Amino acid sequence: MALLIVEAVIVVSPLFFMGLINKVKALWAGRKGAPLLQPYYDFIKLLGKGEVVSRTTSFVFKLAPSLNIAAALFALTIVPLPILGSAVHFEGDFVLFAYILSLAKFITVLAALDTGSSFEGMGASREVTYSTIVETAFFIVIGSVALLTHRDSFDTIFAVVNVASGYTPLVKILLVASLFIMLLAEGSRVPVDDPTTHLELTMIHEVMILDYSGPDLAYIQYGAALKMTIISILIADLLVPAYLVLLPALGLFALINILVFISVGAVESLIARSRISHIPQFLFLMTTLSLTAFAILAFFLFGGVR
Amino acid sequence: MVDLFIGAGLFLAGGVAAIFVNERLKAPVFFLFAAAAQFFVLTVVVATLTGGGQLVLPVYFSEPIGAAFFRLDPLAALFALVTSIGVLLTSIYSIGYMKMYSGEHAELSSYYFFLGLMAGSMLLLVTAQNAIVFMVLWEIMSISSFFLVAFENGKEEVRKASLYYFIAMQVGAAFLIAAFSWCSAVSGSLDFDSFAPVLGNYGSVSILLFVLFFIGFGTKAGFVPMHTWLPRAHPAAPTGVSALMSGVMIKTGIYGILRILLLVKIPDYRLAYGILLISLITGIYGVMNAIGQHDMKRLLAYHSIENIGIIGMGIGVGMLGLVYNNPLIAMLGFLGGLLHVVNHFTFKSVLFYGSGVVYSQTHTRSIDRLGGLGKYLPLTSVMFLIASLAITGLPLFNGFVSEFAIYLGLVRSLSSNSLSVVVAALVGFSGLAFIGAMALLCFTKVYGICFLGLPRTEYRSEPNEKESTLLVPMGILTFFMMAIGLLPWLAVLLLKNVVMQFLPTGSSDIFQAILPTFRTISIALSGFAAVFLFFFGLRALLLRKRKVEAFKTWDCGYQVGSSRLQYTGSSFAQPFLQLVSELVPQRIHVEKDPVLFPRDASLESHTQDLSERFIFRPAIRLLNRFLDAFSWIQSGRMQQYILYGLIFLVFLLIWVFGVR
Repeated sequence: MALLIVEAVIVVSPLFFMGLINKVKALWAGRKGAPLLQPYYDFIKLLGKGEVVSRTTSFVFKLAPSLNIAAALFALTIVPLPILGSAVHFEGDFVLFAYILSLAKFITVLAALDTGSSFEGMGASREVTYSTIVETAFFIVIGSVALLTHRDSFDTIFAVVNVASGYTPLVKILLVASLFIMLLAEGSRVPVDDPTTHLELTMIHEVMILDYSGPDLAYIQYGAALKMTIISILIADLLVPAYLVLLPALGLFALINILVFISVGAVESLIARSRISHIPQFLFLMTTLSLTAFAILAFFLFGGVR
Repeated sequence: MVDLFIGAGLFLAGGVAAIFVNERLKAPVFFLFAAAAQFFVLTVVVATLTGGGQLVLPVYFSEPIGAAFFRLDPLAALFALVTSIGVLLTSIYSIGYMKMYSGEHAELSSYYFFLGLMAGSMLLLVTAQNAIVFMVLWEIMSISSFFLVAFENGKEEVRKASLYYFIAMQVGAAFLIAAFSWCSAVSGSLDFDSFAPVLGNYGSVSILLFVLFFIGFGTKAGFVPMHTWLPRAHPAAPTGVSALMSGVMIKTGIYGILRILLLVKIPDYRLAYGILLISLITGIYGVMNAIGQHDMKRLLAYHSIENIGIIGMGIGVGMLGLVYNNPLIAMLGFLGGLLHVVNHFTFKSVLFYGSGVVYSQTHTRSIDRLGGLGKYLPLTSVMFLIASLAITGLPLFNGFVSEFAIYLGLVRSLSSNSLSVVVAALVGFSGLAFIGAMALLCFTKVYGICFLGLPRTEYRSEPNEKESTLLVPMGILTFFMMAIGLLPWLAVLLLKNVVMQFLPTGSSDIFQAILPTFRTISIALSGFAAVFLFFFGLRALLLRKRKVEAFKTWDCGYQVGSSRLQYTGSSFAQPFLQLVSELVPQRIHVEKDPVLFPRDASLESHTQDLSERFIFRPAIRLLNRFLDAFSWIQSGRMQQYILYGLIFLVFLLIWVFGVR
């Protein structure tokens, strides 16, 4: 029951986090900024509108938004929450978690190509290129926590990952940093992508959805926000200590999520978008961090120091 | 067991019968024979797969073969099943596809004859237990497929490709002959079972023998670096044959490796790591090169290499499980690998069949010339999309199930208490994810560029899919892709007895460890589908009474757009190819007039295969230099050659009578 309530809260929260990022950026720049709930207003407004659909498109274009939202919600049921665990769990569930998100990515990329627009093709091409790096690194992260805990589902991994021992803080810092990069990349935020600059040749995710409008656009924006929230939940899962009882744990969990999104806003205020040719280097940082975490783990577990 | 021989005989008879009927009847006649063969093959094969056990038929040949056993065990049954269905589907497909070649009576006769010969030999090959019988069938399969690849021998590139294929197959066979003769020299018999002590004694000899077998069988399967024939032969062959070769024939290489593994029982640990590593390299290298291809069938050929890598990873994980005495990991590895054999047959055949539909309608295989085909070929388009999703390993379709089993085996290995296993598991785990992400890139490229958007060049005639015989085989396979994808536990039922052959005896309840997981996945995926339908329905509901306007694609205000402005496959793949330019070097030729405002310009890009450049070309150069030393033997005078033969015969006589 508690799980259901918390998941329901998470389902409505992603747009708040988007508002939060914008607010942080505004305050940082000395502006008052849009209201925190602005993304909700946009969402509802978009749901109430009609659509303009390109004549070039086919059924793929229509499938993508709904598939995106369904995939993100499905991923949410797999991802564990502190103490409460997850609604759906089985051996190897993280593979399905990653692959269902890939399925949504596949269709989104196709939808971009479906319009025949060279801008969208460009964004699609970048999206898939960078995801080869991010996906691999994400599996190294999962492999590392699986090695650390000797467990084989998200649920059980995060149930024991926070039973502290000597070297885990270091490993966790590396993994959290790695997941944070993934959050920026998958959420198409600065320095990988800049969601505020429409119509630029330099963009990735936003340019792929140029032709969407109305409810479809609402779906896509919500789906993207939920996906970011899920990665943020993974970060929080690594950090909430296991000895807490339910309510403090959930409080801390919420706090960490808010902090994550404040940091996204801060990063966006502090640094500029990278040049396209530099983005792979930034993403390889995620690979390096996760591999280092794995190496440290292997070193400690297999008796570098006896 | 006799049923299987009848089946093989019917395939061959179909090929022979097709020679004697007129052109329009060739395909239907062959199809009828192939369909009749199913009644004999499928009953006995399915019974063996589901019931376990084995059927043995001894056949007595004269010396030196002697008694040869044909044995149908679950492993053989699995490959026989794939072979039989694959041939049937290709025979249906050929009815429509080969119309393209009407008028070439002799060629069509040879097509069906060799198709029947290849089908029959593949079917019997998997049951042969005698080294010589096996090699004879192996060569019949290779040579008949060579004639099929060389079908359009009027084209220079086809002649080159088929010769390349022929030579690669003979080199592979040479390794097999060496390995088999070594085994039988030690064991004193030609029967496979007698090789078991030779192969399983952990000495350096048994490892060397395994390596020889691996090179021989791996050449057929397409493991890197022996893969170079695939991207040549697959595009050259008529599409039905490409599908059959990629979906079925290269798997006989996998079959051979598994058959040897059954004799080895518990492999040496070095072999397990070696297979895992080579397979991972094969997978990554295959898909990386696929991304750089412009020719649809060549791209699919590189994907066959990738999938052989994934199958090999499953086998490698299974071997690791055997080495470290962990039946659960072994079960997951072999289950994943074997299921991927079946899965790859389904989606790769559909992809090849689909590319054939595209080729027959547009007369080009060049991805960058296509576009917007989804509007002309809606059914092909949907089935091609499903196959693309399946080959990428995405959930809802069967590719996910086999990859999931391999992932699970690797995750289990991460809990091992041996550092080397843990490192191997992590490398495999993230490597498989890397392969998956690259496959996603590659198939969004193929599908997105060819079937979506607008045509990049004008089609000579409007493409259509009136030819239903091209669609039926694809439809059947698409059904299987979805069935296994949504009900993964079906696969366990199908493969249980095959996997059991590899595990230590008495571990039959081990499948209980995976069945609940598969059931959960099945339920979870239906939940996912329901959520999707809910949102899709909601969208329709919201838009029901509103204005949905059809307009041109938003082009950022640019008013004179044309379909040629669309992103091409080459540009789509470019950012990734730049990242891996060391591994997949690209050669780009630009030609333009050196004037201020050049009117005509052209750009061509090719990817180079590293293994060809660094392994085969130097090796061939070396070999040529060595063989040049003997060139004086070849004088060009017929009389001299007859003399050689005579001298040889005299020596043979002396040897035969002298030894007695």
